[in-house]
Amino acid sequence: MLDASVLQRVVVATASTALALLVGLAVVAAAGYDPLLFLGNVFEGAFGDENALARTLKFATLFILTGVAVAVAFRAGVFNIGVQGQFVVGGVVCVVAILRLAPALPTGTAGGVALLVLGTVAAALAGGAYAALPGVLKAYAGANEIITTIMLNFIAVGVVGYLVEGPLRGEGNRAPNTERIPEYVELPAIAFDSPDFSVVGLAVALAVVAVVSVVMTRTHVGYDMVTSGHQERAATYSGVDAARTIVATMTFSGMIAGIAGAVFAVMVQGYYSDPSGVGTYGFDAIAVSLLAANNPLGVVPAGLLFGALDSAGTHIGINSDVPVQLIDGIVGLVVLFVAAPELFRMVAPRAGFGGDDR
Amino acid sequence: MSVADYAAENRVRVGSAAALVVLVAAAAVALDLPVAVIVTVGFVERALQAATPIALAAIGGLYAEKSGVFNIGLEGFMIFGAANAAAVTWLLGGGSPSQADLWLAILAAVLISVAYTVVFAVLTIRYEADQIVAGLAVWFIGLGFGPFTAVILWGSRNSPSIASVNDLTVPVLSEVPVVGRILFDASPLVLLTAVLAVAAWVVLYRTRYGYWIQAAGENPEALDTAGVNVARVRYAAVIFSGAMAGLGGAVLLAHAGSFTGTGDTMVNGRGWIGIVAYLFGNYNPLGAAAAALLFGGLDMLQIQFQTAGIDLPNRLVNLFPYVAVVVVLTFWGSTRMPAAVGEPYESEE
Repeated sequence: MLDASVLQRVVVATASTALALLVGLAVVAAAGYDPLLFLGNVFEGAFGDENALARTLKFATLFILTGVAVAVAFRAGVFNIGVQGQFVVGGVVCVVAILRLAPALPTGTAGGVALLVLGTVAAALAGGAYAALPGVLKAYAGANEIITTIMLNFIAVGVVGYLVEGPLRGEGNRAPNTERIPEYVELPAIAFDSPDFSVVGLAVALAVVAVVSVVMTRTHVGYDMVTSGHQERAATYSGVDAARTIVATMTFSGMIAGIAGAVFAVMVQGYYSDPSGVGTYGFDAIAVSLLAANNPLGVVPAGLLFGALDSAGTHIGINSDVPVQLIDGIVGLVVLFVAAPELFRMVAPRAGFGGDDR
Repeated sequence: MSVADYAAENRVRVGSAAALVVLVAAAAVALDLPVAVIVTVGFVERALQAATPIALAAIGGLYAEKSGVFNIGLEGFMIFGAANAAAVTWLLGGGSPSQADLWLAILAAVLISVAYTVVFAVLTIRYEADQIVAGLAVWFIGLGFGPFTAVILWGSRNSPSIASVNDLTVPVLSEVPVVGRILFDASPLVLLTAVLAVAAWVVLYRTRYGYWIQAAGENPEALDTAGVNVARVRYAAVIFSGAMAGLGGAVLLAHAGSFTGTGDTMVNGRGWIGIVAYLFGNYNPLGAAAAALLFGGLDMLQIQFQTAGIDLPNRLVNLFPYVAVVVVLTFWGSTRMPAAVGEPYESEE
């Protein structure tokens, strides 16, 4: 897909999404529900009112961040399927850091901002370290990073789940949750009156996208990453240490995943709960990144689309009896269709779109 | 490759597996662990049962990879297998299905998996889809589809208790101590897996078709020159892998007796562990089955720890297989993959 033009990528992404939605509607109809009503519910749930819009932007914030984390690695030819685990590790470390440091700092806005910054830095470091491990294993032991990162996802969820059930459980909490972070450590709402969305969170996500985009296209490090991903031999000849680049790429990707975890923990939850129930942002991010052709800027519209889909899913879960799991299936179908651009290349000329200029 | 050849060619692997066993035994003696309570006949039975789905998926996966297609969607195909087996059992027999219903459901689940795998195979072979991405897509679709089916049928992500497969008991022989209970009073699906593993080994290393599969992954040009249709061989291998993973999922259900669709579903990473099992087994069906047994044993250790009164948090003991996968990949990570894996092949005709 790398030799495809931007226009072709947009066409493939749009066609994949449309096709996946069509299949989804067919499944809805086959399961005995009204597909038109379902479609209406999707739009209403995604953009229907201010509430729906805030929810869409909340999910989009998380998908943009995790999506960029995936895109960084994929761009460099490394498959980081472990964003979910790094997201979980980052989130829990952020909450623990804030809880531990809070007594040492003044309360109020200044202390709140300081804690937010420290918590986010801790999350980025933790996420980066957790991603560096499979990076080292791939670079120096040849261990397939797809499988190690997936195993590390399971391990992160299991260990953090154990921690919030026991050692880290807030005093007197009935549910397996950590203590709540102090009231004054929060992102201001500014627009939208929503308890779990802040425009500041979205701004953080967009800022990360901008930074990543600059690093990948304008700096030496980014150039080395991308070349070693696609022209490994050329990169080696020009003096790039392939092993070190792999570790650096994974660490960079994991740091972004950690920041995503911090935004989730602070903006959405305010504490940390059993990670088997926090949502699969790190997995859906793979679809987001692929839909964006692993382009950091493309992740923004793709993240918005997935945010809208998830938001619609929440709405459907409450207001209709169509099982929301259908949305996960549609996400998978989008990935499947994106995986096979050849399919569209072969179909396109026949449908009169032209474009087979390979 | 015979078993002796395998051992000779994989001295490091076999040697380290043996060393590991010795090390564990030494640790058990040194720490005064109640070995007799931990390694019981029941444990062996449970380990075999836990190993079967992993072994089935692993054998399928290695066929696909040997033929040149990395089927990374094994986990997804297992979810389809488990969900469809549960659904068909329920549709046939409702709340009290018979054993015949269950067996029919297993068969149906395999056939449905074949149908899905055909789509995957066409996309990866004919339309040259990125194998990794398409495989991940299969996983995501499974993660959505499994619970979706459960919600449609039972109104919840988990099914009620449906039916589990009865043990196959051979009279008289099952009375023999230890061996009797393990071999002659066992799940028929465990025995089926053992037969399939041996058959898969024979086909791969002792038949012409097996050589074609290997050639399709190692040197497709040569196979093409010899007049064999590479795409057709790959289709067969990939579809077989989907069928085996689907069977693995169905077996998982038939042993558990109900479908779990919460979290990562009841498959819970076994498809991924299957991939590691065949890497560890060096693409040999028997080696893969042995590796699956290792993971199955680790998976079942928690029950033994409980009965032995060893106090470890459940959630941490549950992580043993995943940690083992990372360790295995660290030491045996760089296996030699078939040369043409991941590369679409287009005949020049």
